[in-house]
Amino acid sequence: MPKWFTGAAVLCGLMFAVAPVLIANAPYESTMGLVQKIFYVHLPSAWVFLLSAIVCGVASVRFLFRGDPRQDRLAWAAAELVVLFGLVTLVTGPLWARKAWGTWWQWDVRLTSSLMGWMVAVAYLLLRKYGGPGSDKLGAGLALFGMANVPFVYISVNYWRTIHPATSVVPTLPSSFGVPLWFSAVTFLLLFVLLLRLRVRLQEQHAALDALYLSMDA
Amino acid sequence: MMLRRLVVVFVLVVAGSASRDAACVRAAEAGSWDPAYVVSVLSAQQPAPTQQEEFVPIEELPPQDQLPAAPLLVAAYSFVVLALFAYLVSVARRLGAVQHELERLESELKRSGRR
Repeated sequence: MPKWFTGAAVLCGLMFAVAPVLIANAPYESTMGLVQKIFYVHLPSAWVFLLSAIVCGVASVRFLFRGDPRQDRLAWAAAELVVLFGLVTLVTGPLWARKAWGTWWQWDVRLTSSLMGWMVAVAYLLLRKYGGPGSDKLGAGLALFGMANVPFVYISVNYWRTIHPATSVVPTLPSSFGVPLWFSAVTFLLLFVLLLRLRVRLQEQHAALDALYLSMDA
Repeated sequence: MMLRRLVVVFVLVVAGSASRDAACVRAAEAGSWDPAYVVSVLSAQQPAPTQQEEFVPIEELPPQDQLPAAPLLVAAYSFVVLALFAYLVSVARRLGAVQHELERLESELKRSGRR
């Protein structure tokens, strides 16, 4: 593993220890009260979910055009993180909505497109695991759909009627809400980088193992 | 007459759309543009706010209002921690298994003299 990895992992651990203190000290939102504090994990995980889908899509495009296996490994690793952070987003969101909206789920554009993006990533992983030869190119094509869905997820709340808060909420946040949010967002981003590097390392080891098996057969 | 109509229109605009429509119909039916008549129609439609005379126990609220926030918050944060930890353990175990397999193969190749 690279030298920076250990230091970044320690820093990430410290940030995860400090984040709950900042979140606990943040004020209660006037209409939602305590349950609004889910926001500090829901939104950063949603951002990382969308970022992972972009990384997966960009790496897939580069793999399709250049045939570089490193890009394929990066795409596969990022797809797994799409599933992980997407799951966190899709579980924490309904837990917040149950209290704030009075319902677990709404089939509005933001929620439905997020679910679609997550399902595309699940389909990608299933395809890579059970698809056999050629599944790398097919998976790369699928990842493009996942990436194309990202801007749609982001802008959906501004163009369609929905009860989900609009994107204008974050830029107008007072610092008492903003500081814990951005701290949490940086923590999640750092975790994403670390997990991505760890997962790429796993792919590299798998590739080395495959090369060894091939050399034994030769 | 014109001034009266202006006063009535002002009252109706202030009253809001639903009340305005109903009051317009009633005023047109009565053929009256008397502001006092329109105001009386509007005031008859709007229920007076009821004064709270007693505290309502939380059990009598609709289910969504009774819901406590703390279990949802705890569930959300617990899920985040467990999901991230489980993924980290999963990647570490897979990495360990592949590393172990690599070492085994490399030593096997060395023993057989192919490397």
